[in-house]
Amino acid sequence: MHFYCIAGLSVGSEIALPGLNAAASDRGTPDVMIRGRAVQSAFVDATASGPTWQIAGEQFLLRIPGVARFLLTAGNEIAFEAEPGADAGDIPTFILGTVFGILMHQREQIVLHASAVRVNDRAILFCGPSGAGKSTLAAALSQRGYRLITDDFCTITVTSTGTPVVHPDGRQLKLWAQAIEKLELEESRGERVRNRLEKFYVDPGEALVEALPLGAVYALREARPPLVPGIERPNVADAAVLLRRNAYRPRLVAHLNQKVLYFHAAATIANNAGIFHLNRKLDFAAMPEVVSSLERHWLEIGLMEKAA
Amino acid sequence: MTRRIWLASYPKSGNTWLRMLIANLAAKDDQPVGINDLAATSGIASARGPFDDLLLIDSGLLTHDEADCLRPRLYEELARGADSNEGDPREAPPAVRFIKVHDAYTLTPLGEPLLAGARGAEGAIVIVRDPRDVASSLASHRNTGIDDAIAFMNDRDAKFSANPAKQDMQLRQKLPGWSGHVASWLDQTDIPVHLVRYEDLQIDTAAVLRRALEFAGQAAADDELCRAVRFADFTRLRQQEEEKGFREAPPQAGARFFRRGETGAWRDELKPDQAARIEADHAPMMRRLGYELSHTADLPTAPISLAR
Repeated sequence: MHFYCIAGLSVGSEIALPGLNAAASDRGTPDVMIRGRAVQSAFVDATASGPTWQIAGEQFLLRIPGVARFLLTAGNEIAFEAEPGADAGDIPTFILGTVFGILMHQREQIVLHASAVRVNDRAILFCGPSGAGKSTLAAALSQRGYRLITDDFCTITVTSTGTPVVHPDGRQLKLWAQAIEKLELEESRGERVRNRLEKFYVDPGEALVEALPLGAVYALREARPPLVPGIERPNVADAAVLLRRNAYRPRLVAHLNQKVLYFHAAATIANNAGIFHLNRKLDFAAMPEVVSSLERHWLEIGLMEKAA
Repeated sequence: MTRRIWLASYPKSGNTWLRMLIANLAAKDDQPVGINDLAATSGIASARGPFDDLLLIDSGLLTHDEADCLRPRLYEELARGADSNEGDPREAPPAVRFIKVHDAYTLTPLGEPLLAGARGAEGAIVIVRDPRDVASSLASHRNTGIDDAIAFMNDRDAKFSANPAKQDMQLRQKLPGWSGHVASWLDQTDIPVHLVRYEDLQIDTAAVLRRALEFAGQAAADDELCRAVRFADFTRLRQQEEEKGFREAPPQAGARFFRRGETGAWRDELKPDQAARIEADHAPMMRRLGYELSHTADLPTAPISLAR
């Protein structure tokens, strides 16, 4: 059995999950168990479904053709059965890249499609759809000394005192070959994420363990006309929509009846931290300017202090 | 139920102009629809966001071929009304939804139509333009020389968004040469096709637009047609781009999306040998579409084979 800590949850897994840091095994029953066993191909009593997935009560079935079928139960078990001809190495990749995000939705967590870095003991999130540049920006910021908290999805919990916090998961960055080259990260480049992809794990350095209060959420947008580069603060109503649209899988927020949950979270985050648009050119040459505009913004909103 | 109609074209063939004309049929308060408001109401078939959101699988973890195998499921789901869920529930869904597509009409590695055949849409309006005019426009759009554009238009393996070392905002689109692309749409037998020549749209915009709308099953009153033609006049579109920029414009500085929009501009933009090369590459399809050849000697007349 392998043990990990993902988004603040203890995880026991029959298979090794590359790209994660191992955790101590003496923490009692894990919050989430990952195991291989027979998984049905469909529910007979599905209450909601899509082309690749079904929901029936506390159970969620996802089929990734040619890889595996995954059965998620009550947010605390992921069972998987490989499809014929599957590359066994792909199963952990999809567990971490897709299935775990869905599990967090199933656990009624606020889970955003986001990467996050640490700025002065606060978590700064960058969210956007696949291809928006979340991981690349997080990589550039970690090169500037801001430690990586999480990549791809990011879970926010609200403490009993009403503070939104983010749990690091010790996951490695996943970057495409071009980003690794442009950011000169060849030395930190690890294994391929999948054998057939030019996408690699990149070691972000020492892993963070403790949860951090949320400092700010930025939704990434490409600065194409009429949008100009810069940071904007949407009004509260727009911020609520923005947060839901940047859920890991917005469709599931609707299917799992969590719109109210996200609405309240947006209000809490807007009050405690701040939700912003970050418009910038999708061009590596613009990255230094993006980083300095963020640093100016962190000074402005009090996340960083001016150098003496 | 909303009827789904593809607006299918090789790039730089007038797809956006036709979309602007259609969008302006519903112009409110006698104000032209902004060129940057287009994306909000009608996306492109190859957008990555709906794939991840509806199939729940991270398309960034899939190879292009794996994503292609799943794309028919996406269009079937959209045809079942999945894209109306996120809209304003108080607004009635449109009678017809037009969806831009640059993909050729191809089969997936599993042998299904990529765009899900009759389960994905009820028909296609196929827009074609003289390939000699396409060449100079494509060169400007891709920031290459005209010779490169001519080679791209004659490459049976040409693609958009296919760089394996990075992830584009869009899924891969196969563009198997200009002739192959047009043939793939005109010769498929899954869904009815209505052919629109860019040149005819220019000569009698209102009449050509009316016939295309009739094919799609959308009624339009004479005054709406006239207003749409006036609002989406090429000069006005170019003026909008000059004033505010266009989000779909090529990123390089000074590049324009709405460039000249003229028929026959190739006569002063192409060298004679360049025009001759395009005619040699595409003579059968040019003849089939009624584009007059200037170099008629020794050109092949064999029919174009199906590009699948």
